[in-house]
Amino acid sequence: MKDQTLPSTSRDDWRLPLPHSTRGRVLVAIRFAAVLALIIAAASTPGFFTTVSLFSLLNTTSFIGCIAIGMTFITLSGNIMSFALGVTLSTSGIVFIAALPLGLIPAMIAALTFGAALTAVQGVVIGYFRANPIIVSMAALALITGCATLITQGRGVYPAGDEAALLKGRVLGVPIPVAALIVTVVVAQIVLSFTQFGRQLYMVGSNWRAALAAGLEPARVVLGAYIAAGLCAAVAGILMAARYSSGDMELGIGYDYNAISAVLVGGTAISGGEGSAIRSLTGAFIIAVCQVLLLLNGFSSQIQFLAIGVIVLLVIMLQTLADGG
Amino acid sequence: MLSVLTNRSVRPYLLLVAITVVLWILDGGRGVFFTTSTAFSVLQQFATIGLIALGLGLSMIIREIDLSVAGMMSLSGCIAVLTGAGQPGLGVALAVVFGMVWGLFQGAIMVWLRLGSIGVTLGGLLTLGGLAYVVTGNLSISYPRMDVALAVNHPVLEIFSLRSLVALIAFLAAAFFMARTRVGRDVYATGSDHRAAMVAGVRTSAIVPAVFACSGMLAALAGSLLSYSLAAASGVALTDVLVPAIAAAIIGGVSLMGGRGTPIGIVGGVLVLCLLSSGLNAIGTPPAVHDVVTGGVLFLVAIADAIDIDRRLFAVQRYWREMFLRRDDHIGLTKPRPPGSVYHKEAVRRSNATPLIK
Repeated sequence: MKDQTLPSTSRDDWRLPLPHSTRGRVLVAIRFAAVLALIIAAASTPGFFTTVSLFSLLNTTSFIGCIAIGMTFITLSGNIMSFALGVTLSTSGIVFIAALPLGLIPAMIAALTFGAALTAVQGVVIGYFRANPIIVSMAALALITGCATLITQGRGVYPAGDEAALLKGRVLGVPIPVAALIVTVVVAQIVLSFTQFGRQLYMVGSNWRAALAAGLEPARVVLGAYIAAGLCAAVAGILMAARYSSGDMELGIGYDYNAISAVLVGGTAISGGEGSAIRSLTGAFIIAVCQVLLLLNGFSSQIQFLAIGVIVLLVIMLQTLADGG
Repeated sequence: MLSVLTNRSVRPYLLLVAITVVLWILDGGRGVFFTTSTAFSVLQQFATIGLIALGLGLSMIIREIDLSVAGMMSLSGCIAVLTGAGQPGLGVALAVVFGMVWGLFQGAIMVWLRLGSIGVTLGGLLTLGGLAYVVTGNLSISYPRMDVALAVNHPVLEIFSLRSLVALIAFLAAAFFMARTRVGRDVYATGSDHRAAMVAGVRTSAIVPAVFACSGMLAALAGSLLSYSLAAASGVALTDVLVPAIAAAIIGGVSLMGGRGTPIGIVGGVLVLCLLSSGLNAIGTPPAVHDVVTGGVLFLVAIADAIDIDRRLFAVQRYWREMFLRRDDHIGLTKPRPPGSVYHKEAVRRSNATPLIK
C-alpha cells in the first residue's frame, strides 16, 4: 500500500521538511547516510583535514561550483543542461585577458557582458522559439569553438601587464576564487528564493504550460536563466584566466560534464522545477571530496572519472524514490 | 513537388546537392574537390560518425536520447585493442557484446525505474568514459597488428573500405528492418505515442531496451573499428563525436519529439556533414571553419524544428502588418477602432484626447 501523501510543507512552516511518504523518508535517510559515510571516510583519511588539502579542495571547487550554479539555472528552467558553458568559460576568459589593457574593472565587465551575450542568444532561441536546448547548446558549442579558434588562430592569449595578479590574492584571508564562489552562491540563492524571477523560474521549470496559463511569459524567464548561466560561466572564466595568467580554449574543457554532475548529485531534478544553488554547491563539494579522498587513499586519477560516473548514475536512479516512481 | 520538399528524409539530400554545388563553385575549376580521394575520405568519416548517428537516431525515434554512445565508442575501442591482438574478430565481438549488455542495462533501468533517458545515459556516458580511463591507465594504448589497421582502411573499388562497407551494410539492414518488419513499425509507434502504443499492444518495455542495445552495439562496432584503423585507443573522446552524430541525425530528419526519421534520412544527414568536412578540407579551409559551418547548420535546423517558431513568425508578421496599417492615420482614414486595440491607442495618442480605457 502506498502511503497517504499529504501536500508538502509550506514555505512558512519552519519544521524540518521531512517528506510524508515512506519513499521520500528512505531517500532522506540514504542522503544522510551517504554524507555521514563521506565524513567518516574523510576523518579516517590521514592528511584530509589539513589546511593545505582543504584550501586546495576549496580552490578546485570554486571553478566547478560557479559553472554548476550557472547550470542550476538552466536545469531549473526545465532545459536539462547546456553543453556550451565550458566554451563560454574559455571565451570569456580570453575576452578578459584581451581587455585587460583597459583596466581590471572594464575587463571584468567586458568578460561578463560577453558571457551573458553568448548564452542570451541561446536563451532567445530556446525560450522564444522553444528549440531543443540540447541541440541548441551543441550547435553553440561548435559555433563558439570554431569562431574562437578562427579569431585566436588556436593560440592562447597572454596578458601584457600583471593587472590580473590582484585576483590571485586574498580577501579577509580567503582566496579570491573561493570568495567569488561564496558571493555567487549567495546571490544566486537570493535570486532563486526571494525574487519574482526566481519563483517564476521554478514555475516555468515544473510546468511550462501552467506558467503560460498563469500569465507569465515563460520565454522571458528562460532567457533570464540563460543570462544568469552565462554570467556564472564568465565569473569562472575570469577567475581561471587570472589564475593561469592566460586565456585559452583549453580552460573550459570538461566543465560541462563536471557541472551537470554536481547539479545532479546535489539533488536538483533533471526535469526542472526543483533544486537550488546551495544543493548544486553541495553536489560540487561531495564530488570534490570524493576525488580528494580517492587521491589521498592512493587511487589513480582514472578511478576518479569512473567514480563520478557511478555516483551520477546512482543518484539518478535514487531520484525515482523522490518522485514516487 | 511540395510534398517532396517537406519530406524529412529528402531534406538532407537536397542539402547535399546544395553543398556539392557550393563546394564546386568554391573549388573554381582547380579540380581538387571532385576527386576519388574526397569521396574516399567522405566515406571514411561516414564509417565513424555514421554508426554512432544511426544508434543515436534510433534512440531519438523512440523519443529518448542515448548520450552514452560517445563513452561507449572510446571504451569499446579500448576493449577491442586490448583483447583483439591475437584474433581481431574476437576483439570486435567482445566490444559489441559489451555494447549490447550495457545498452540493455540502460534500457532496463529506464523501463523498471521509469527514468528519463537523458539522466541515465549521461550517467552512462560519464561511467563509460571513466571506465575507458581506468582500462587504459590514462594512456594511449597502441594496437600491435598493423596488418589489421591497413586491411580495415584498404580501399575497395576506389572509394570504399572495409569500415565504410560495414557501416553501409548496417544502414541498409536498419532501413529494411525499420520499414519492412513489424518490430520496426512498433519502434515508430513507441516513439510517436508511448502510451497509445502500449494500449495498442506494443511491448514498449521490450522495445526500449532493445533499441538501446542496438545503439550500444552500433557505437561499440564503430569504436572498435576506429581503434583498429588508428591502431590505438585512448579514453579521450566524449563530445568530439557526440556533436556531429546528433547533428547528423537531426539534419537527417530525425525529430527529438520521436516517431520521425528513417535510417536512409540519417545516411543523408551524415553524408552532409562528412561532405562539408572533407570538401572544405579539400579546398583548403582551416578545420575551424568546419566547426562553424556544422554549428551554423545545426543551429538553423534547431530553429526550423522549434515548437513555437510558427507562432513567433506569425507574431512578427502581425507586427509588420500593424505597422503597415497604421499608415492609414496619415491619410486621415477614420475607421471604427475597437477600444484597447493598438489602433485605438494610437488614435487617442494622435488626437491628444483623454483615453476612455487605459
